[in-house]
Amino acid sequence: MSSSFRAVKRRFSVLCPVGFTSQLRRNHPVGGRRLSGAQTGEQLRPLEGLTVLDLTRVLAGPFATMILGDLGAEVIKVERPGAGDDTRAWGPPFVGAESAYFLSVNRNKKSICVDLKHPRGAGVIQELAGVCDVLVENYLPGKLHQMGLGYDQLSRVNPRLIYCSISGYGQTGPQSQSPGYDSIASAVSGMMHITGPEDGEPVRPGVAMTDLATGLYAHGAIMAALLQQHRTGRGVHIDCNLLSSQVSCLSHIAANYLNSGKEARRWGTAHESIVPYQGFRTKDGHIVVAAGNDKQFVKVCRVLQLMELTDDPKYKTNTLRVQHRKQLLHTLSQRFLQEQTADWLRRFEGSGVPVGPINSIQEVFSDPQVKHNGLIQKMNHPTAGSIAVPGPAVRFSSFRPAEPTPPPVIGQHTVQVLRHTLSYSDDVIQSLLESKAVAQNEVS
Amino acid sequence: NFQRLHLMSTGEQLRPLEGLTVLDLTRVLAGPFATMILGDLGAEVIKVERPGAGDDTRAWGPPFVGAESAYFLSVNRNKKSICVDLKHPRGAGVIQELAGVCDVLVENYLPGKLHQMGLGYDQLSRVNPRLIYCSISGYGQTGPQSQSPGYDSIASAVSGMMHITGPEDGEPVRPGVAMTDLATGLYAHGAIMAALLQQHRTGRGVHIDCNLLSSQVRGGGVRHLNSGKEARRWGTAHESIVPYQGFRTKDGHIVVAAGNDKQFVKVCRVLQLMELTDDPKYKTNTLRVQHRKQLLHTLSQRFLQEQTADWLRRFEGSGVPVGPINSIQEVFSDPQVKHNGLIQKMNHPTAGSIAVPGPAVRFSSFRPAEPTPPPVIGQHTVQVLRHTLSYSDDVIQSLLESKAVAQNEVS
Repeated sequence: MSSSFRAVKRRFSVLCPVGFTSQLRRNHPVGGRRLSGAQTGEQLRPLEGLTVLDLTRVLAGPFATMILGDLGAEVIKVERPGAGDDTRAWGPPFVGAESAYFLSVNRNKKSICVDLKHPRGAGVIQELAGVCDVLVENYLPGKLHQMGLGYDQLSRVNPRLIYCSISGYGQTGPQSQSPGYDSIASAVSGMMHITGPEDGEPVRPGVAMTDLATGLYAHGAIMAALLQQHRTGRGVHIDCNLLSSQVSCLSHIAANYLNSGKEARRWGTAHESIVPYQGFRTKDGHIVVAAGNDKQFVKVCRVLQLMELTDDPKYKTNTLRVQHRKQLLHTLSQRFLQEQTADWLRRFEGSGVPVGPINSIQEVFSDPQVKHNGLIQKMNHPTAGSIAVPGPAVRFSSFRPAEPTPPPVIGQHTVQVLRHTLSYSDDVIQSLLESKAVAQNEVS
Repeated sequence: NFQRLHLMSTGEQLRPLEGLTVLDLTRVLAGPFATMILGDLGAEVIKVERPGAGDDTRAWGPPFVGAESAYFLSVNRNKKSICVDLKHPRGAGVIQELAGVCDVLVENYLPGKLHQMGLGYDQLSRVNPRLIYCSISGYGQTGPQSQSPGYDSIASAVSGMMHITGPEDGEPVRPGVAMTDLATGLYAHGAIMAALLQQHRTGRGVHIDCNLLSSQVRGGGVRHLNSGKEARRWGTAHESIVPYQGFRTKDGHIVVAAGNDKQFVKVCRVLQLMELTDDPKYKTNTLRVQHRKQLLHTLSQRFLQEQTADWLRRFEGSGVPVGPINSIQEVFSDPQVKHNGLIQKMNHPTAGSIAVPGPAVRFSSFRPAEPTPPPVIGQHTVQVLRHTLSYSDDVIQSLLESKAVAQNEVS
C-alpha cells in the first residue's frame, strides 16, 4: 500500500515538491528505532498514511471517520464558516464552548473551514480530493455534483478516489431526495415498531442506533474499497444509507415476515420465544436474566428459592413456559421485587445463569470491565480543557490505542492543511483567507 | 473467456474480498452477521458447525422454513458449512490445518476455550503468521468480566442501552432487534478489513478483540462523562428538540422531526394550528422545550384526528421531515426498500424459495452477486476437505468414520 501512496505522491511531487517532502518525512521518520518499527509494523496502525477528506456532519459520517482516525488515518474535516458542524451547538451539556455531542464523535480529526459555495472554496476541495485517498460525504444526493464535487467529477481527476456517500434513503430511488434523520429512518425501517413495552407505544432506541449502524457499515465498506483498490488501482462510489442499514439489521425479524408473513411486535425487555429471558424490577432497580434452557430455569428457581416451580408441569420445558408466560413471570416478578439488584447479582454469581443489572450511565462508567476495556478516553482540549469520551470499541494485538488528538475547534487546521497537504504558498493562503473562501481559527 | 479475463483484469464486477478465505467458528448472531457481510463482499466463508445441532439458531423457531429457522436463514447466506467435532483430536487437527491456509479466522468462544483445544491465536499464528484472528466475546478477552458469556440482552442492560430506551415515564426496554450483537458484528467486519490492510504492509496477522460491551458503550456516555448528567428515557422524543417525536394518529403513528423554528411554523401550518405560532411560549426551540408538555398535548390531540396516510400527504413538499412508524409488512412494501434491493430472494436446497434482508451497502464497481443460500449443516464438509486441504478420498473416508467430521446427505 505504501508503494501506491508513493506513486500518487510522486505524481504531485512534480508540482509541489516541498509539500510532499514534508509528508514523506512524516510517514518515514528518521531515527533508527522508529524506522525499524515502521518496517516491522510494530505499533503501526492499519490506516497510517491514509488521508480521508471528511465532508460529513452530525453523527453517521463523523462516527465512521472517527473510527478511521482511530485506526491511524489522517482525517480532514471540512466545516462551513460560522457554525461549522451543526452539532457543535447541540447542547446542553457543553464543555467550554463545545457540545458534548460534538466532542463524542470528532476526536483524531483536523478541522478546516471552507465555504463550498464560494468557487475558490470548492476549488480547494477539488484539489484536496485529488490528493486524498477517501472522501466521505452526507449531502443530499446531487448537491455536491452541483458544486462540481460529485463522484463522477472528482474521480476524473483522481481515479483512485474512494467516495463514500451517506444519505437517508440511498443515492437513487423515490425517497432519495428526503433528508436523513435517525428518528425518521428508525420509524420507516420498522425499528420503532418493534421497540417498546409489551402493551405500550413504540419508542426509539435511546441512542441513534440507525445513524451508528450506518457509520459502522460505512467504515467497513471504505476499507473493503481500499482492499479492492490494491488490486484494480481504481476507486469506487459507495452508497450507504440509513434506511438500508437499519432494514438489513432487522435480520431475523425481517426473515420471519418475508418467509412466513409473521408480523413483529413489541416485547419490552422480554423475548418472544424464551422464558424467562428479560428484565425484572428489583427493590432498587432492574436485573436482566437470560435463562436460555431448562437447566438454567432450574438454576433460576434455586437462586430465587422457588423450587416448587420446577415441579410444576406447566413450566417443565421452554415451550411450556412460553405458553404460560404471564403466570410464571408474575410469580418471578414478585420475588425479584423483594431484594436489591446487588443482592440478586451476588446470589446469581457462579450459578451459570447469565444475569446483569440495567445500568444507568453513571453505573456503566463505574463498571470495572468498562474501565479495563479502555472505554473512558480522556484528553486535553485546547479550549474546553479536560474532556472524556467513550473510547474505541475494538482492540488489536498489533498496536496500542494511540494518544488521541482532541476534537478540533472549527477551522483549527485550515492553514496547516493548505500549507502541508496542498503545498500552497503563504501568498495564496492569505488571498484565500481574505476572499473568505476559507477561514482559520485563532486556535491552531 | 477473453471477456471474463478482461473483466477480471480491469476489476469489473470483481468483489473486494474475492480470493479471501474466512474460517468461521462463530455461532448465533454477532459473528455470523459479520462473516455474512464478508461473504457478500466476495470472501469464501467456511462455517464450522458441531455435529448434531450445529449452530444453535438452526432450531430457533417458529417460524421455520422447511427444516431451517428463519433466524438461521437471515444471517447465513454465502457460506459453506462443514461439520467438525472440535473436541475430537482429529477434528481439531482439521481446523488447525484450515487455519494454516485461510486468511481470516473469526470465533466467539469464551476466552481461553479455543486455546485449550490448541486453536488459540498464539498457537495458530505460529503456524500461520499472516492469520487474522478476530475474537468476539461478551466483555473482552481479558478483565474481570471476561469469563461471562455474551448475551445481547445482558450486554444491552450492562452497557446502559436499556436504561435510555423506553417510554418517558415507563420501564426500560430493549431495542426490538439485538442491536448490540449487530453493532459488534459491524465493528468486527470493519476491524477484519483494517487488519487485512495492515497485513499488506507488514506481512503479519493480528489478534482482534471485539466484544458486546465495548461496542454498545456509546449511548449517553458523553454527557455523563463530561458533566455528570445522567441520561433518561424519552420514548420517541428528543430531550432538547420539540417537536421531534412520534404521535399517535387515527390508525397508527407518525414521526415528525421539526428541528428548528421555521419547521415548527410549517408543522403548525399543516396542522392548521397557526395560533400556536403566535404564542410567545412556543417562539423558539428553547421555549418549546420548556413548555413541552402543554405543546405536545395540543399537537397530539390534533394528530389523532386524521389517518397516518393523510398526514403524510399533507406534509409532502412542506420540507418537514416526517415518516410513518412502519410495521414490518409496511417496511417491505415500501418502494424505496424494494429499490434498494433489501429483499433478497434465493432458492434453498431443502426449504425451497426463501427471502432475507439484502446487503445494506452498494458499490459502483460491482453488482450484488447472486447469493448462495444458507447451507444445510455439513453440506460442504467433503468439498472443503478435498479442495481446500487437498485430502485424499481415503483420508476423508477415515475422518468421516471416526466421526471427527460429518457430511450432510445434501451437498
